[in-house]
Amino acid sequence: MDRRDFIKTTGGLILTVGSGTYAFRILSATGVSVSDTDNPLIGKKWGMVIDLTKCRPDCTDCLTACRTENNVSFHGDKRWDNHWIRKVKIEGEVGHTKVEKMVPLLCNHCDNPPCAQVCPVKATYKRDDGIVIVDHHRCIGCRYCMIACPYNARQFNFKNDEDWPNEERPKRSHGVAEACNLCAHRLDVGQMPACVEACQKCGANAILVGDLNDPVSEINRITSTLSVKRIREDLGTEPKVYYLGL
Amino acid sequence: MDLKFDSIEGDSTQYRLMMITFASFAIAGFIATWYVIEHGLWVTGMNNRVPWGLQIVMAVYYIGLSAGSLVISGLYGVFGKLEYKPFARIAVYLATLFLIAGLLSILTDQGRIDRVFVEPFVYFNLQSMFSINPILYIGHILICLLYLWALFYERKKLTSVVATLAFGWAFCVHTGTGAIFGFGARVLYESPLLPASFVAAAMASGTALMILMIVGLFRITKRRLDDELIIWLGRFLAICLLVVVYFMFVENAYRAYVVELRDAAMYYLFGGLHSLFFWVGLIVIGCFIPIFLLFYRKTGKTVRGIVIASALVVFGVLCERYVIVLPGLTHPPELFPGMEITESVLQEGIASYSLSFLEILQALGVFGVIGFLFGWGLKYLKLLPTEARILKHYETTEITSKEK
Repeated sequence: MDRRDFIKTTGGLILTVGSGTYAFRILSATGVSVSDTDNPLIGKKWGMVIDLTKCRPDCTDCLTACRTENNVSFHGDKRWDNHWIRKVKIEGEVGHTKVEKMVPLLCNHCDNPPCAQVCPVKATYKRDDGIVIVDHHRCIGCRYCMIACPYNARQFNFKNDEDWPNEERPKRSHGVAEACNLCAHRLDVGQMPACVEACQKCGANAILVGDLNDPVSEINRITSTLSVKRIREDLGTEPKVYYLGL
Repeated sequence: MDLKFDSIEGDSTQYRLMMITFASFAIAGFIATWYVIEHGLWVTGMNNRVPWGLQIVMAVYYIGLSAGSLVISGLYGVFGKLEYKPFARIAVYLATLFLIAGLLSILTDQGRIDRVFVEPFVYFNLQSMFSINPILYIGHILICLLYLWALFYERKKLTSVVATLAFGWAFCVHTGTGAIFGFGARVLYESPLLPASFVAAAMASGTALMILMIVGLFRITKRRLDDELIIWLGRFLAICLLVVVYFMFVENAYRAYVVELRDAAMYYLFGGLHSLFFWVGLIVIGCFIPIFLLFYRKTGKTVRGIVIASALVVFGVLCERYVIVLPGLTHPPELFPGMEITESVLQEGIASYSLSFLEILQALGVFGVIGFLFGWGLKYLKLLPTEARILKHYETTEITSKEK
């Protein structure tokens, strides 16, 4: 075998094995679809109401509960810490009165989520029950969703976190985007999200999660009868987190 | 008159040194990227508020350079300007390399590089600019390779068809890249003008770089080059620059005029280090001085003047790419109009960004890879003509090793 033949044979071999492996990976990556009739999520539309008049300014129980439940990574540095839910202090003037409020912020689970629109691999998507969720096994870490989110609600796992308080939930590894998933795993089995449970335990009872499609639900009563606000409604993203007293 | 294409000898000490330098850059970039993959992207200094950095700036820059190179080849392939036929091969080769550099820059910036080769093709999202653009990029590379083949084998009909296709495709590529930002939700990104101004800046930077490459290569390898060819390219560059300035003016005037965008406009124009890049790097060094040099009779008609102007444009457009990407990120999204966030566990206000050593190494690495491929191409492909003169007709022949 001369040099030319050798190169041809090895090249052909590498090409065949390489493309075969690649084709196999692509074929095996295509997901299994669930038929609509089997899908228990259809028909629901989860939403949240946060009553700022009940929320205690110095309380951070919901933040701690969220971190512990979901193993949200924390490194003690604002630049790389993740907070699926965070509390911010806002200040301004209404008329001549100075206004100061503490507002819990989290993913708004928009009905028109810009993060899902821009995701090149559909790793971020809206479930049939309205929850916007990230598939950590599919995300390629391009961070386009962070650019697209107008609420600064999406973060990125910039580094590994060795803490693993809840071993039933996945440990966070670096390289993928993150955001609040409304504790979908808990809602799916009839439990309330960790932040709601913590808020009830501390006695404030300021957070409520419910089905916006259910005409007799408490959340529907509040959003249709009381003066609720959503953050930057003007953007047309249709957020599903409502605030009382904002 | 025959147009002869030739490769370089490639056995000089300078050539070897150049190749060793490029290879060292590539290796350094590879090690830096491996370190980033291993430890996470935080080591590059990017963070939750500024999730894109130098690699995205460089990706956009390289993709732009690729356009301009194609424009030069299109002068012959599309518009039939025979006097530019000598540069067609090198221009298409460079266009291919720059696009590869753009893709490499994006690739090395991903959080999970291992998934990049499978997921985007399996879960294609037609609504995402990040899904549409890779298709445009890969298509662009394939068209460039076909174009190169047509040029090498002197398929005249195919050349003109592929050249036209490549020309149109390049417009889509650069409009698409501009749309990644222009169709975004950030105040300083969102602009329907951005894709168009992106194309203009791409043509300016690409033409400028081609002028530098052509003059440099012809001088170093002691080949004859008619000044008129470069002077015409200089004029073309000047027009591209005027278009760039026009788009810049309209975009910024709009932001400064509309009340709700005024704060963002002030931040962009006078808000920090990026404003220095905008005014000094882009407007003065990258546009005004080159426009003066190119239109002023004494410098605009000399190769030296045009080369200086081109070098300034290449630098200026790099600054332009920086001010497209970074200020849009460091400027905060407005969550509560009329109110201010004064306390938070995250960075909420204006964020800061500085280049990190690892990012620079990664960028150098990509530069090293295409530099090496460029050097390889000069030695093993017949890319360069023996001379470039203004003639009516060319018959192309390639120098065989016996003739040398």
